[in-house]
Amino acid sequence: MDFNLTEEQSLLKDSVEKFIGDNYDLNDRRKLAQSTLGYSEDFWKQYADLGWLGLPFSESEGGFGGDLIDTMIMMEELGKGLILEPYYASVILAGAALRNGGTAEQKDKLIGGIVSGDIKATVAYSEEQARFNLNDVATTAEKSGDGYVISGTKSVVANAETADFIIVAARTSGERADAKGITLFVVDAKSEGVSLANYPTVDALRASEVTFANVKVSASDIMGELDNGLGLLEEIRDEAILALCAEAVGGMDLLYKDTVDYCKQREQFGHALSDFQTLKHRFSEMFIEAEQCRSLLYRATLEKNNGSADSRKLIHALKYKVGKAGRFIGQGAVQSHGGMGVTEELRIGHYFIRLAVIDSMFGNFDYHLDQYTELMTIPDDKGEEDSMPFM
Amino acid sequence: MDISLNKEELAFEKEVEDFLAEHLPRGHEMWTKRAEWFAALKEKGWDVINWPKEFGGPDWSPTQHYIWDKVSCKEVLPPVMPFGQVMLAPVLMKYGNKEQHERFLPDIRDNKSMWCQGYSEPGAGSDLASLKCKADLTEDGKHYIINGTKIWTTMGHVANWIFCLTRTSSDGPKQEGITFLLFDMKSPGVEVKPIFTLGGSHHVNQVFFTDVKVPVENRIGEEGKGWTYAKGLLQHERKGIAGISRCVYALDKLKEKAQRVPVGDSTLIQDQGFKKKIAVAEIELLALEFTELRSLADMVNSGSPGSQSSILKLKGTEMQQTIQELTLEAGGIYATPWGNKKFGPKFSKGGMEGYLNGRPATIYGGCSEVQKDVIAKRVLGL
Repeated sequence: MDFNLTEEQSLLKDSVEKFIGDNYDLNDRRKLAQSTLGYSEDFWKQYADLGWLGLPFSESEGGFGGDLIDTMIMMEELGKGLILEPYYASVILAGAALRNGGTAEQKDKLIGGIVSGDIKATVAYSEEQARFNLNDVATTAEKSGDGYVISGTKSVVANAETADFIIVAARTSGERADAKGITLFVVDAKSEGVSLANYPTVDALRASEVTFANVKVSASDIMGELDNGLGLLEEIRDEAILALCAEAVGGMDLLYKDTVDYCKQREQFGHALSDFQTLKHRFSEMFIEAEQCRSLLYRATLEKNNGSADSRKLIHALKYKVGKAGRFIGQGAVQSHGGMGVTEELRIGHYFIRLAVIDSMFGNFDYHLDQYTELMTIPDDKGEEDSMPFM
Repeated sequence: MDISLNKEELAFEKEVEDFLAEHLPRGHEMWTKRAEWFAALKEKGWDVINWPKEFGGPDWSPTQHYIWDKVSCKEVLPPVMPFGQVMLAPVLMKYGNKEQHERFLPDIRDNKSMWCQGYSEPGAGSDLASLKCKADLTEDGKHYIINGTKIWTTMGHVANWIFCLTRTSSDGPKQEGITFLLFDMKSPGVEVKPIFTLGGSHHVNQVFFTDVKVPVENRIGEEGKGWTYAKGLLQHERKGIAGISRCVYALDKLKEKAQRVPVGDSTLIQDQGFKKKIAVAEIELLALEFTELRSLADMVNSGSPGSQSSILKLKGTEMQQTIQELTLEAGGIYATPWGNKKFGPKFSKGGMEGYLNGRPATIYGGCSEVQKDVIAKRVLGL
């Protein structure tokens, strides 16, 4: 039993930490976010050179051979910088899709480019009517000759504007909300009929509504199994949630630490704010919630990494807890900073926003509590009276 | 990072499971075959698992302790009062002299002596160091004369010994001048009055001392240094109070009980609202188990528990109360019939008792508010 990082993991953590420290000052980030592209191509190349874009891919595929623990470390550190580059879309989402469902041909075509930074990709899984339900897919892919024709609109697709390939979930059979009949396709973003409405999201990242109007794809563009794409989507979701929650946990640590530091030097009524017990107790609770999230993050990541059957349940638990605690910690930080908490000047406000965004992704805490409740183990009633009812 | 157990640890886990399967008395035998159980534990060398090797402990690693908890929490073990073995013994071992070790430890180990704790006073609760119970040294230097009172003395009415914090000096800061004494509850001048807690239970008492004569050889360590010794003891107390493994067991039991509660043609476990409350508790517990594990791993690596350990008492006791509340709720209308006649689901009276008797967990051993102060000070540097 061991919670220490390996030497390689420590090096990885240190190098990401250093990069963020050197390059992701809040003001620099603001300027970058307002640029046309919205992120730095130069940073993206550096990520490639450092091997970060290849982290989750196996060495035989040209990657770095990292596991989910490595990705967790990476995402926690990148999250502290609130980076703007499409790491999440290209490496986490599209990476998970390729690793879990890509054909040899698709892997061959895309992974090398993703690792070198020359190709960017994303996954389009959500639709307006579906809320958080991955089953609910109105976008259709009709059989046409040897291939398919895709029609429909996908919602809030991360970094679609700069993606070369969009992996899209479409319905190949069944009714709109059926579990069966969903198929994933790899679509070249420049294909005829693909149109994008681009916008910034509130956390200064970029997303798009992506419309497919009779977009032609071939049978070889199918990712995973025909009609059985839901399983693959769920795998992508599981890995994405672990990555997002790692990012969130990094942000939570900074939120409570920044808040404590600020309240130590801010004086009112002749005292530092941190002298007031009501605030001390709030800070203690923020610390506790952050640690509890970290515990669940480790638990879910380690279990998923070991291939445990219980891991999906734990991932629902994690997303619930991070959503709920994220509200508490984020709001506590803003409230404790007073007027300064609601300005764009301090970084806490930006983590506060990011935590709210993360809660909205792949299901908010209410959704994941429902999912957890559904999967919760109920032991058979052995009918025995408890000999120690007070526990 | 790796949470899997190695080969030796897996073998140990099996050894624990086998031992429990063979020796643990189940059902009502828990009470009738207690002596056999303790004898089996002693023969195995597992009777005082938290004691150091030199005093007869098994010298387990933190991981072995974790395995023991993990396996044994799925069963109900005959209870041992914590006051002697868990709370006093470590203080005795660390600060007591050899003669005191020989005099007291064997009976504590074999559950022959029954101890109670003389800490709180009517004017000294969470602010324990402001205690006033006086101990004056006689002119010949052979005895202390005790005058004062102690309150919330659990099992004081059945205990034959008390470990007691007394004031030998009022000069200087309140933490100084406190002396740690052990004495016989049958000493002349000791009077025990019951305190009935909510629901009418009698577990705690107020104890009055009038000119109680205690030989100086019953003093632990130096006069005036009792606060240091007591603080060490509180750490052992808090570790035991968290009871996280026990919560895992109790939550599973609650899920079983909820299947026995009719709601029309259905049962309570089918009620989405109730089921969701269980789920919320379970998620918190999943996190807390790992927080405990992380603290344990820090113990293995660095010899001291990490900052996460400060969370355990606070969250562990909150978790106990959450499960008690849900058990109370599960009883529904039958949570109210009291006395010896039983109506409704069998667990329902126990659910109410658990709810009532469980409240002190967030009050004693450093109340939750004090725990938050401690986190602010020690972890956040405030």
